[in-house]
Amino acid sequence: MTAATVSSAPQRTDVPDAPATRGSGAGRRPGTTILVTGILVVVAIYFLVPVYWVVVAASKTTDDLFGTNGFWFGNTFALFDNLAAVLTYGGGVFIRWFANSVLYAGVGGLLATYLAAAGGYALAKYQFRGRNLVFGLVLGGVLVPGTATALPLFLLFSQLGLANTYWSVLIPSLVSPFGFFLCRIYADATVDSSIVEAARIDGAGELRIFHTLGLRIMTPALVTVFLFQIVGIWNNYFLPLVMLSDQELYPITLGLNNWNSQTDRLPEFYELTTGGVLLSVIPLAVAMIVLQRFWRGGLTEGAVKA
Amino acid sequence: MTTTTTRTGATTGAATRPSSRPAKRRRTAVDRAPWILVGPFLALFLLTFVLPIIVAIGQSFTTVTRAGLFGEQGVTTGFAWFENYRIALEDGNFIASIGRMLLFGVVQVPVMIIAATVLALLLESASARWPGFFRATFFMPYGIPGVIATILWSFLYVPGLSPIIDLTETLFGFTPDFLGAGTVLWSIANIVTWTYAGYNMLIIVAQLKAIPPEVYEAARVDGAGPWRTAWSIQLPLIRPALVLTTVFSIIGTLQLFAEPQLLQTVSPAIDSQFTPNLSAYTTAFAYNDYNVAAAQSVLIALVAFALSFVFLRLTNRSSR
Amino acid sequence: MRQVTRRELLGWGLTGGAAALLAGCATPGTTSVNTQPVVPAAAGEKVTLTYWAWLKDLQKVADVWNAKNPNVQVQVSWIPGGNDGGYQKMYSALAAGGGPDLAQVEMRTIPEFMLVNGLVDLERYGVSEHADKFDQTLWSQVSFAGGVYGIPQDSGPVGMYYRPDLYEQVGVEVPTTWAQWAEVAPAFREAGVYIDSFPLDDTSAFTAHAMQAGAVWLRSAEDGWVIDMAGETTLEVARFFDQVIDDDLVTTAANPYTPGWYAAAAHDQIASLVSASWGDALLQSVSGAEGKWKVAPAPRWEHGYGSSFIGGSTSAVLANSKHPREAMEFAVWMNTDPEGIDAMIEHSGIGWSPARDYIGAAREKPSEFFSGQSYNTEVFQPATQQQNPDWQWWPITQQTFNILGDGFRRKATGGTLVDAVVAAEERTIEVFRQKGLTIRKAER
Repeated sequence: MTAATVSSAPQRTDVPDAPATRGSGAGRRPGTTILVTGILVVVAIYFLVPVYWVVVAASKTTDDLFGTNGFWFGNTFALFDNLAAVLTYGGGVFIRWFANSVLYAGVGGLLATYLAAAGGYALAKYQFRGRNLVFGLVLGGVLVPGTATALPLFLLFSQLGLANTYWSVLIPSLVSPFGFFLCRIYADATVDSSIVEAARIDGAGELRIFHTLGLRIMTPALVTVFLFQIVGIWNNYFLPLVMLSDQELYPITLGLNNWNSQTDRLPEFYELTTGGVLLSVIPLAVAMIVLQRFWRGGLTEGAVKA
Repeated sequence: MTTTTTRTGATTGAATRPSSRPAKRRRTAVDRAPWILVGPFLALFLLTFVLPIIVAIGQSFTTVTRAGLFGEQGVTTGFAWFENYRIALEDGNFIASIGRMLLFGVVQVPVMIIAATVLALLLESASARWPGFFRATFFMPYGIPGVIATILWSFLYVPGLSPIIDLTETLFGFTPDFLGAGTVLWSIANIVTWTYAGYNMLIIVAQLKAIPPEVYEAARVDGAGPWRTAWSIQLPLIRPALVLTTVFSIIGTLQLFAEPQLLQTVSPAIDSQFTPNLSAYTTAFAYNDYNVAAAQSVLIALVAFALSFVFLRLTNRSSR
Repeated sequence: MRQVTRRELLGWGLTGGAAALLAGCATPGTTSVNTQPVVPAAAGEKVTLTYWAWLKDLQKVADVWNAKNPNVQVQVSWIPGGNDGGYQKMYSALAAGGGPDLAQVEMRTIPEFMLVNGLVDLERYGVSEHADKFDQTLWSQVSFAGGVYGIPQDSGPVGMYYRPDLYEQVGVEVPTTWAQWAEVAPAFREAGVYIDSFPLDDTSAFTAHAMQAGAVWLRSAEDGWVIDMAGETTLEVARFFDQVIDDDLVTTAANPYTPGWYAAAAHDQIASLVSASWGDALLQSVSGAEGKWKVAPAPRWEHGYGSSFIGGSTSAVLANSKHPREAMEFAVWMNTDPEGIDAMIEHSGIGWSPARDYIGAAREKPSEFFSGQSYNTEVFQPATQQQNPDWQWWPITQQTFNILGDGFRRKATGGTLVDAVVAAEERTIEVFRQKGLTIRKAER
């Protein structure tokens, strides 16, 4: 990997936004500000249009959906009816799907982060045979699309009797080659060998050192890996599509696709689909907005050393 | 394990090994530790990445022959040299799908990365108001699964439902066809860009923030204006972030599945083999041809690997 | 000079061994349940059958049976439409050694399931004693090689929905032949209306037209399959529609029952729709359509039959079912007993009833939506007697349709339907051979 970096101290995780720290502080002309802000506003509209549309659409009945203008509300305000229908249809299957997604992403993300951290730390702080082989192998794993492995993995799991169970989606989600890569680099940069040595001399066991020292120092990278993995698992479509046939096990992506695929046969599913999309987009959007600050920290170091 | 230890102890004159000579027990524990730590990850990695590739390769060299109208008079499994690969490569649709993805990649990836870079630079410039709000807005689509984003945008593409089409009709008097044969690929590109531009932008922003203010000071002292600073100073310094985002985007392009599969129902222009992944999925689960599908999966993995590898090599070399 | 440790060797050995084992494992679907002994009937213990279908509210139909049969309970699971992912679910469940007892499998997909040994041959469970309860054409579509592989559930006899007001406005008669239909179409264009739409990617409509003209694309013979897709009958139909599309008499931009089509229909831009009986429920989604549409028999070709069919499903018993006999009995009840049929019409909105003598109580009455016309007894019931009885489906139906659809799509960029049909025939022969089946072209 290229080492063309400007490596500032890794402690820089929370740089303030004040523009005075960078750029030409004195040259803040109002004309440029308007131009820049204008561009940003237009771009923001582009990003927000579909979200706005789904809010409006979820408040309409199917007739209004086809009959009235998409950007403004319809003749009847049916938002709460639609949302109630979404939550109760099929015995509350929507809630089940949402809970499944939380399970896959939460448990998967947590364990994946832990395993990647352990592996990355091991590769960074120890010299052992096969170290480079392992790293190369895992790096290769980053470059292989997950979709190429899903089909044969399905055949494998079928033989093992694991297909169409929670495990069939959880087990592949526990492996994050990118997380491994990121943790190794971060551990290399931040976990000082002298601290580790000192702890050894004090009599601490290796695993203890990892859990108390290593994990603590690597926290910013762990947060990044965790978030990255959570979003990746939550958004994953191909893997559960191939593995799961039982509707009860579906994550929200498969579930909503289910409903969407019924719309041409049964037009009332338009309401359910738009309502379901709204209910899933809102918490995700909020989560992203709240969590986006955490992306800065670990990724700076990771990207910098890449 | 004693065997391992003595061998390691004897042959490794490891420079990084701490100078003090710990007791034999400690050395064993230290040698065992990395394998214990990396073991679970490695085991799962082998199971979920390496083994499936091996299975896929195995399946791609197998073939099935049937006797009778439906194989009711006997089915035999046999070794098929490169037959499945030949079938996959002779299938004009599969090759077209790979070509389509390369075209998509060549256009969409640079456009998205450039847009992300420009937005990052704008946001981090002195002239930006409310950068936090904009950053959050641009990043927000990343959390929306591709499936849901596609459902959303499909409503915005379909005539009769789409307010965008209504708007252009009233304002400009023409009806854009987002789902036609020539345009649907770019409509998909739009969805992908919408979803990931903000995320890539954030990675670049993170890298921008790592540039120490002294560099900016020095530039200002030298009389560099904002454009010059951006071009000569910021761009080269965010190069690692650009490389990272581009590699991921390349890999992502070859994985394209959910967007075309979902748009299939509303766009007649999307056939069942529109992207390589869709092709493999259709071959396996609609045509029940697991062997050819395995060959296709292996080919896709090879192409992805090769492209990323080449790109990384190129950027590595030119950075010297 | 790095020496391999024992542990590494063990690791690689295990991996290699496992890999070799798995790679050598059989491709899914290569052993047949129909060569195994017949599964005995359940000996009085309570049996729960699982049923995967995409019909709406099918559980309510099953509950009618459940109430009367405490020992055999049926549980329905909704899955996406067959070609929208439903069949993929079934194939992958079968490959994993599981799957439901019963599944909704379209008539045209039965041979595909047979190719992967996914269905139970119900002949071995005595289903022939029920054969005369079913419509003859449908029964022949589920019978192959001396066995019966599905219980017909519904079908879609073809008729023509039309707008009497638009026909009057333009001043033309409702056509009874395709030639007349092509003659009156230009008049509609002048009024800014399309007489119908032609879907370029959904080839089931074109197939129905070819079928109506008398074509039989594939049939099974003793020596294998015989294909006649690019015969004169089919090419005539292809030429006809090539001309019609070139003259802009039909729209190819809005497939029937898509949002774009609904919008166009609501704006009075579609004058008629040659489609199957199950279109009646879908037509009701057109905004403001109540009382504006009526039904007439489909236009005819010079030779061939009065009507055709589009779509049609069966209740099939899947290979890994542990109670095939009970599953069969439920399926026969649901699809022939008047109570079952009425329940399916009421709750699930099925297409045309498969029973020979019963079309469903609700369908015997006049329809408010269609301005009081008793369209089922007037149009669709007679249509079921005028269908092509020789038509057979084949093991790669979906793939052929996809190939044909790909070819049709090129019409938009200068290809022709005729070329598409000829190319599809060649490609279909190739695919048959790749699957290890014997096929030859018919003499013509």
